Amino acid sequence: MENSISTAYEEKIIQDLLPRKFKKSGRILVAILSAICLVGIYAYYRQLRYGLVVTNMRDYVSWGIYISNFVFFVAISLVGSLITAVFRLAGVKWGSPLTRIAEMIAVSAIIFASLIIIVDMGSPERFYNLFLYGRIQSPIMWDVIVIMTYFFISVLLLYYPLLPDIKILLRFKERSGARLHKVYSFLGSFWKGTHKQYLRSKKAINVLCITIIPVAFTIHTVTSWLFATTYRPGWDSTNFGAYFIAGAFLVGAGAVVVAMYIFRTWYHLEDYITLKHFDKMGRVLVLLCLLYLYFNVNEFLTPFFKMKESEAGYLNDMFSGSFAPVFWFAIFTGIILPVIILVFKQGRKPLPMFIVGIMVVVGAWFKRYLIVTPTLLHPFMPMHDVPASYHHYFPTWEEWAITMGSLAGAILVIVVLCRIFPIIPIQETINEHHETAK
Amino acid sequence: MKLLNKILGGALALLFLFPAGNSFAQTADKGSLSIAVSYYVANNKIPSLGVKVKTKVNGRFQNVGGIALSLFLDKDTALNLVGNVVTNDHGEAYANIPSSLKKQWGTSVKHTFIAAFRGNTKYDSTSGDFTANKARILIDTVSGRSVVATVMEMKDSTWKPVKGVDVVIAVRRMGGDLNVNDTPTFSTDSTGKASADFKRDSIPGDLKGNIILVAKIVDNDQYGNLSIEKTVPWGGKFVAKNEDFNARTLFATRGKAPIWLLFIANGIIIAVWTVLILLVANIFKIRKLGQEA
Repeated sequence: MENSISTAYEEKIIQDLLPRKFKKSGRILVAILSAICLVGIYAYYRQLRYGLVVTNMRDYVSWGIYISNFVFFVAISLVGSLITAVFRLAGVKWGSPLTRIAEMIAVSAIIFASLIIIVDMGSPERFYNLFLYGRIQSPIMWDVIVIMTYFFISVLLLYYPLLPDIKILLRFKERSGARLHKVYSFLGSFWKGTHKQYLRSKKAINVLCITIIPVAFTIHTVTSWLFATTYRPGWDSTNFGAYFIAGAFLVGAGAVVVAMYIFRTWYHLEDYITLKHFDKMGRVLVLLCLLYLYFNVNEFLTPFFKMKESEAGYLNDMFSGSFAPVFWFAIFTGIILPVIILVFKQGRKPLPMFIVGIMVVVGAWFKRYLIVTPTLLHPFMPMHDVPASYHHYFPTWEEWAITMGSLAGAILVIVVLCRIFPIIPIQETINEHHETAK
Repeated sequence: MKLLNKILGGALALLFLFPAGNSFAQTADKGSLSIAVSYYVANNKIPSLGVKVKTKVNGRFQNVGGIALSLFLDKDTALNLVGNVVTNDHGEAYANIPSSLKKQWGTSVKHTFIAAFRGNTKYDSTSGDFTANKARILIDTVSGRSVVATVMEMKDSTWKPVKGVDVVIAVRRMGGDLNVNDTPTFSTDSTGKASADFKRDSIPGDLKGNIILVAKIVDNDQYGNLSIEKTVPWGGKFVAKNEDFNARTLFATRGKAPIWLLFIANGIIIAVWTVLILLVANIFKIRKLGQEA
């Protein structure tokens, strides 16, 4: 009797968590995202044809929103290591329904981080030279190596835990359709769920979790070094590695919260992504916000206190000048307000959490913009005899289109992955159910 | 209806008059050019000419590029043509006096160099000229590191010393000429000589310590621009610091990466990718286990 109840419950879990075909709203979403991507591709075609002159990047602001976007994507990709690896190794059981979401976000973000850096290149056809003639002394080379490594680990960390779920998916050929069934067969038809297979898979996942943490720390530290190894106001900091990682964990967690809410509402996963998950993630967000706030204070208070002449222009522009609205928006919306909302229990309910997640992500994007542009507009040597347009930077429509296209592309990858694979690990949820029943 | 016709007629007349007026205005707006001609002789060898073309815009002179000019020796005739040149973005153009004009060159000790512009759609035709006496400059050194420059002028087919000409005596450097001491120019005496003490003792030279001295007359109304060079071993010997150049540093070429960096970076890359390759191999092992089951 007990067994039959358990089997029925297992079937319910499977039915609840199997990937579903898009409804009308899903198809509209895919169409909108595809359209934004196409506009971005057209803008990139124009950039390839006419050169980087179609952007507003010039002699001084040579890194515009492309690099801000790159840093944003790298930051958001770190969530894979936080939710999957850190939580798993720390024995945080409640985080297991969120691991797949986190890994999907990580994979899509790292794909677009790689793409956007190529977009920033004036001659992308020469990219291969980086591998042929790259200098190991250059932080850019370190970034290329570590991004490739992180991408590979993230894909493996997405794939290994999928194997038991693929075995389940293969049982539902009619529901998944012939084409998807072929994909599942190719990816995991060999998984029989034997004890030996399980042990090997478990061991591999543990190794991956251990490996991904230092690589994740490296990827964002190296990204920060792209700036910190350059002697410029605002970048000349020993705090940058830790500052970037703290910010990355925050934006990654914010993105997971947004995804949690959307998937929970869209697929009616209230039984699996529960109020408890929002509450716990809310607490994690508070911790990460405070940590990032601490690093921000470190980053800005000491230069502000000294107010060196060479950095005064940059700092004044950030605190009270032309960048002040964006700066204070990013600080308040992305860090301070989320803490104020989330310290209250009511603030850790799904809808407020969703809004806070969006605030964190949007604030984080602008924070990356502020890391790149104001510094470039305040070089140590004064700007003389340059066109007036060199003194400020606002992206052209091509830059916006490519940036929005990449953001839409990253979301599209997540949406497509959710259509193909279960958002919540099915087998893991069943196993947890058995453990709870015991 | 009549009123409407009048309005339409008036409008049409204005429409046709407007471009016509514009075209008249364009003719009236034709600019004028100013052409300056310079004469150069370096090391008493082939003489050459330089031209600089400017125009006045809003009360300020601006260089004019793309202006086609014909350069002549003494007369504006085809026989006396030095060459045809076009000015660059700085409004400058240069031409050597060709050997075909050797005969005309020998007929006189004084020559006039003419630059003629025939006019185009933007500028009226104009010309500029410069008259120079044949002269030469010599350079020599005397003991105690002193430099002597001598200026001579051709008079009655013999070279005669010239008094009171300002001469720059300097050392050739990459960024320009550096005076041999604090005096900017030296005036020639009745023997045509101007001497200067060399005070730049610490100046770096080539591998043998050679530096190049130069004596020159700049933009002289009578003689134009004359210059002459002489190499002397008065500089410090250049010692290439190859040990620094070849050192392995973070800023060197990729072949000169520091050993510690190569060891650490490649060590980490190999270690991590070995783990990843083993994990991929593990998938195949899991696949095999599945087939056995």
